[in-house]
Amino acid sequence: MIRAEGLSRIYGRGSVEVRALDGVDVEIRKGEFVGVMGASGSGKSTLLHLLGLLDRPTAGTLVIAGTDVTALSERERTLFRLNRLGYVFQDYALVPELTAEENIYLPSKVRGMTAKECTLACRDILALVGLKERYNFLPGEMSGGEQQRVAIARALVNNPALLLADEPCANLDSRNSVLILDLIRKLNRELAQTVVMVSHEDWHRKYFDRVIYLQDGKIVADPGGNGPGSTG
Amino acid sequence: MLEEEQVALFLASRLIARGNKGTLALTIMIIAMVFVNLIFLPSIIAGVVVLFNQQTIDYSYANLVIEPKEGALLIAKPGTLVEKINRIPGVAASTPRYAAGATIVYKGKSTTPLVIAVDPDREPEVMKVHTGIISGDYLSGSDTGQILIGTTLAGDREQKVERTPTLGGVDVGKTVEVTFRNGVTKEFRVKGILKTGTSLIDNNAYISRRDLAGVLGVEDPANQILVRTQETGNENAMRLLLMQYGVQEQIWTWQDKSADFLKSIVGSFDIINLISTVVSLVIAVVVIFIVIFISIVYRRKQIGILQAIGIDRRIIIKSYIFQAIFICACGTVAGCTLLLAVLQYLAVNPLVFPGGPVAPLLEAGLVIRSIASLFIVALIAGFVPSWLTTREEILAAIRG
Ligand SMILES: Nc1ncnc2c1ncn2[C@@H]1O[C@H](COP(=O)(O)OP(=O)(O)OP(=O)(O)O)[C@@H](O)[C@H]1O
Ligand SMILES: [Mg+2]
Repeated sequence: MIRAEGLSRIYGRGSVEVRALDGVDVEIRKGEFVGVMGASGSGKSTLLHLLGLLDRPTAGTLVIAGTDVTALSERERTLFRLNRLGYVFQDYALVPELTAEENIYLPSKVRGMTAKECTLACRDILALVGLKERYNFLPGEMSGGEQQRVAIARALVNNPALLLADEPCANLDSRNSVLILDLIRKLNRELAQTVVMVSHEDWHRKYFDRVIYLQDGKIVADPGGNGPGSTG
Repeated sequence: MLEEEQVALFLASRLIARGNKGTLALTIMIIAMVFVNLIFLPSIIAGVVVLFNQQTIDYSYANLVIEPKEGALLIAKPGTLVEKINRIPGVAASTPRYAAGATIVYKGKSTTPLVIAVDPDREPEVMKVHTGIISGDYLSGSDTGQILIGTTLAGDREQKVERTPTLGGVDVGKTVEVTFRNGVTKEFRVKGILKTGTSLIDNNAYISRRDLAGVLGVEDPANQILVRTQETGNENAMRLLLMQYGVQEQIWTWQDKSADFLKSIVGSFDIINLISTVVSLVIAVVVIFIVIFISIVYRRKQIGILQAIGIDRRIIIKSYIFQAIFICACGTVAGCTLLLAVLQYLAVNPLVFPGGPVAPLLEAGLVIRSIASLFIVALIAGFVPSWLTTREEILAAIRG
């Protein structure tokens, strides 16, 4: 599903350069629920940005779902994000002027479904995340947990090959965090959704099939992976 | 392709409908003001120019001025010529005049204005000088020894400093002494005082041509025939028509005659107008651009997120162009309403210029050009900032 080799992201130049990600080799299989953990500043978000095609690596190769994404043009990257990836942000990142349904509708409509298909897909996916009744609510009228579930629904509406989530529970209390984690795990188990999720909460570990530990931009442990630090 | 526009329209409509209403109202109001600013002053100036032109026609020259053949001092057989001209299609009426300087003395004060001899019966069909009587009466056909004095020329007894030489306050019923170019002096009784608001006219004196004939010893003296045409604006064609009908005298249009001094005023107004239009347009461009630019910059993070979830930048740009156009359309409608309200107010409380009330003249061309330029600005103001924002790194935009 994902194969990264020598993935690096270096900020700045010369003496002040920051190696946010420093030669990461990682392989993620279809249907895996992978957690990315590590101290603050270890490069977790940087890795997810690269996987989510929100940023370009300074060096290394990255193949997602059979596509060498480092070779894509800006436009192709946008299309790839639309069709193949789902990204969940820490702060939900919903469009505040759109209702729950409209937020989900947007990417599905852009993908080219008819308005009717879109609406049906939106209702289905809202039901899946347990917000069937909230379809007409604006983000400002929903709790953080509800907003994050809408964001997850938006990420899923185009059946992405890969769901990426960067600390989706960071702004939520533990009850809502559990709700979100259960939801993501359900998606992973029932729909075989491949998920890569960043977290710094130790107790989240039990949800993951496999945890990649980062430190100073390098993978220090990857039990279950095939690369350095792996045990499996 | 149309798919893209649909999504852009969907996004634009929601952003406007559910966005900040106060900001939207303020933006629309600013554009409305800019629109009014773009049109108001030019309309007033156009109104003033029309007033000036109308005054030139009504009080000084009518539509066409016929003057003696080159080298001659008088028009030969003016009575016959007037009859002939009046029969030409498109001519409303015409009247002969004799205009020359003469010295007027009243109570030891003397000045040399233009004294115009007219046919009191024909004159009102062509000119509006008779409407300017503020005291006394206009001349009548049977009058002899009567004179009309322009209010500026008449002067004011109270006035200590005179800007132009006057008769120091002559009234109706008083007698003035007029000395003509040929040295003949004759007494005239002041029959009326004239006030037209046109300084040129208010400095003149008017007598009847019959009196002048006696003074000059010439029968039917005329050095001008003023022609009122049925329509204003086709003077050049009418001039040619008169020539075709065999009028051999020199024929001028009122524009030709007013060339020197009124044309320079109108010319100055045109320059003021041009500068004001250019300045207003620049202000319009800058204001609309800034207002829309700020609203887009404010949504930078959101634009980044839309791109992050795979919305093509072209859709985002189009949605902002739609928003800008919508705001601009509302602003234009509000501006038109405001403008009509102002015009309505001015219809009730007109701006009074020397010579009369000025009705602002809305030129369709100007309105259309203003609307078009506002929309072009909106297009640019919607495009440039969203193009710039969607061009930057997604992560930088998301971080805000
Ligand atoms: N735009 C940037 N410019 C320069 N350095 C950056 C930039 N973004 C991230 N970094 C640096 O890269 C390193 C990794 O950052 P990253 O955001 O990936 O950490 P993280 O593991 O997600 O941390 P956290 O748990 O706090 O979110 C940090 O040292 C950070 O300072
Ligand atoms: Mg992070």
